Amino acid sequence: MTLETPMLRVVAVGSVDDGKSTLIGRLLHDTGHLTRDQIEAVEEASRRRGRKGIDLALLTDGLRAEREQGITIDVAYRSFDANGRRILLGDAPGHVQYTRNMVTAAAGADVAILLVDAANGILPQTRRHLALCAMLGVRDVIACVNKIDLVDYDEARFNEIADGLRQAADAVDGPRITAIPLSALLGVNLVERSPEQTPWYDGPSVLEVLHDIDPPVAEDAFRMPVQWVIRHDDGDVDVRGLAGRIESGAVAVGDEIVALPSGATSRIARLEVAGQERDVATAPLSVTLHLEDDLDVARGDVIAAVEGAPQAASRCTATIAWLDEKPLTMPGRFDAKQGTRTVPVMVEALRERLELDTMERVPAETLEANDIGVVDLLAASPLVLEPYAENRALGSLILIDPATNRTVAAVMVSGVLAEA
Amino acid sequence: MTVLTELSTLDVLEAEAIHVIRECAAECERPALLFSGGKDSIVLTHLAVKAFAPAGLPFPLMHVDTGHNFDEVIDYRDRMVADLDERLIVASVQDSIDRGRVEDETGPRASRNRLQTTTLLDAIAEHRFTACFGGARRDEERSRAKERFFSHRDAFGQWDPRNQRPEPWSLYNTRLRAGEHVRVFPISNWTELDVWAYIEREGLALPSIYFAHEREVFERDGMLLAAHPAVERYPHEETFVETVRFRTVGDATCTGAIRSTAATVAEVLAETRASDVSERGASRADDRTSEAAMEDRKRNGYF
Ligand SMILES: Nc1nc2c(ncn2[C@@H]2O[C@H](COP(=O)(O)OP(=O)(O)O)[C@@H](O)[C@H]2O)c(=O)[nH]1
Repeated sequence: MTLETPMLRVVAVGSVDDGKSTLIGRLLHDTGHLTRDQIEAVEEASRRRGRKGIDLALLTDGLRAEREQGITIDVAYRSFDANGRRILLGDAPGHVQYTRNMVTAAAGADVAILLVDAANGILPQTRRHLALCAMLGVRDVIACVNKIDLVDYDEARFNEIADGLRQAADAVDGPRITAIPLSALLGVNLVERSPEQTPWYDGPSVLEVLHDIDPPVAEDAFRMPVQWVIRHDDGDVDVRGLAGRIESGAVAVGDEIVALPSGATSRIARLEVAGQERDVATAPLSVTLHLEDDLDVARGDVIAAVEGAPQAASRCTATIAWLDEKPLTMPGRFDAKQGTRTVPVMVEALRERLELDTMERVPAETLEANDIGVVDLLAASPLVLEPYAENRALGSLILIDPATNRTVAAVMVSGVLAEA
Repeated sequence: MTVLTELSTLDVLEAEAIHVIRECAAECERPALLFSGGKDSIVLTHLAVKAFAPAGLPFPLMHVDTGHNFDEVIDYRDRMVADLDERLIVASVQDSIDRGRVEDETGPRASRNRLQTTTLLDAIAEHRFTACFGGARRDEERSRAKERFFSHRDAFGQWDPRNQRPEPWSLYNTRLRAGEHVRVFPISNWTELDVWAYIEREGLALPSIYFAHEREVFERDGMLLAAHPAVERYPHEETFVETVRFRTVGDATCTGAIRSTAATVAEVLAETRASDVSERGASRADDRTSEAAMEDRKRNGYF
């Protein structure tokens, strides 16, 4: 049951000045996604900044503060087509203090483009980015050894960095690495292969990888958090539809399902995709399910395949990415949003902090912005949880600080604990 | 055995938009859908209808009417609302002017584009809306590319791009304090071509000004503007009749027309595919003033 992915979610990461903005600008430019007036605007902006020629990095640095400081501070999203496949590219900032934006951009991404400066080699930030990719379940990393023109297209230098990256990825139990010698500035191995500059390299260009990369392995078990119960009485029939997005797997008319956490079972009587009757539907479609029995189901519940259905639990261990300026202090009390349910939770224990560049685990009393830790969570009422590695949708949470209303953490469930 | 069909990009984008619309309706107390009569808000309305079918919309539509709209657009709006049998709230910029909330600009460059912001924020306060759906897309403009699906606005309606809420895994934080609201952009990831392709696929009707027609126009700053009672011309700005269409629909004072003979959705699609000018570049006089124009207006509560 593998289907072509029509849309690939890609995140671009790298340290400041590794050339990420240039790469994205060049990619859009060389694939014909920039219009004449957009190019003119960038040319004009380049002139005003006293740049020689056209600085394609200025295309993506959208916000005023960024233009003033010359760095990317928030995630920007771009769409373009790679020979028929839609690429949704999130441009994540490189500064250490904006690691939280990288988490935002990489959560849910299928592929990461990681930039490394050929002259500088692998930096602590590079290891951090690889570790974050591994943690967030990004399975493929296109590692671009950029500015290869500045090291005279040196094969040995490229191999050294590529090997280092593979080792770093192995160390975090992480993603598959496809390393490419790149000049974002000159477009070398970006859209087309460039045998003239890198005759020793016989791998694909960046765009080729984006087009050909295998779609993420389908998480096959059917799961649908209920977003909304549609009620409609047109005089004859009293319609009661369970509206939600299929997060994983597929569902068909006649399938037996279970509603969680209640555990009540029924069968699919009919289903609609965007308002139209269908026999079957698959992730990531938004659907409306009609059951044979009138179960008591509300927003926050999860509809799942009966076989291997997850359990509801109040306790879990999890990896937590702290995003807020205000540090985590214990015991932390928050509201957690998971699937379509929001419940109060308590951070019962902070087990350790992860040093991302060395993968060392150190004891910790607190977590500060951009820190990664391991915690035990206790929810005020049961959640339908699965480990993140098995199901991203049911294994991920955000924490909201009820005092400030800010989203303070992104959480990935690693283990579901039995009720105490 | 279950047989699955291949999904298209439009299927995925449609599903994403419906997910966002349902999340907002479920979590925000009093949403409204900002309906401009433009193609993006028409697509958005269609998606909202699908999200809750066969029940009606759980929120009203709201049009911020500058009073300088094209008649065809107002006609379309009224017909659509009647057909859908949904509730429409009209917030009028003219009312804001009459009540002394804002002052009309004068002269040939006068536009009510800026004034809309006050009318919109007043209407949000009056109806106590906590969420407004908008049809903005990330491909429109550079600062839009950074906008979240749920974009938080403080009690002054302001956007703080440096302090946006992270949205990992499409888990949206919709918490608000009194007086605050969110702008919600379900079609963020759509491109202009996606919108046209979807209009074609779904067979949606559009206001007639989107298709080639003869119109009295004049040229300003390299753009064609409609000869319209709301637009004052400089003496040297002579009008002439051209076959044109509009790529976006807004205030007659600042929405440029393009020369075109594309009379059907299919022809517009073909032209858009071949075009080398962005939608904004072709149509929005107001964005050209400064490089950061859009970002500044957004900070201050613009759409
Ligand atoms: N020689 C060379 N310079 C590059 C290359 N890519 C980027 N640069 C330059 O490196 C600097 C930083 O690039 P930028 O794209 O702004 O980096 P970002 O901070 O990662 O977005 C700019 O001056 C670029 O022109 C490359 O492949 N070769």
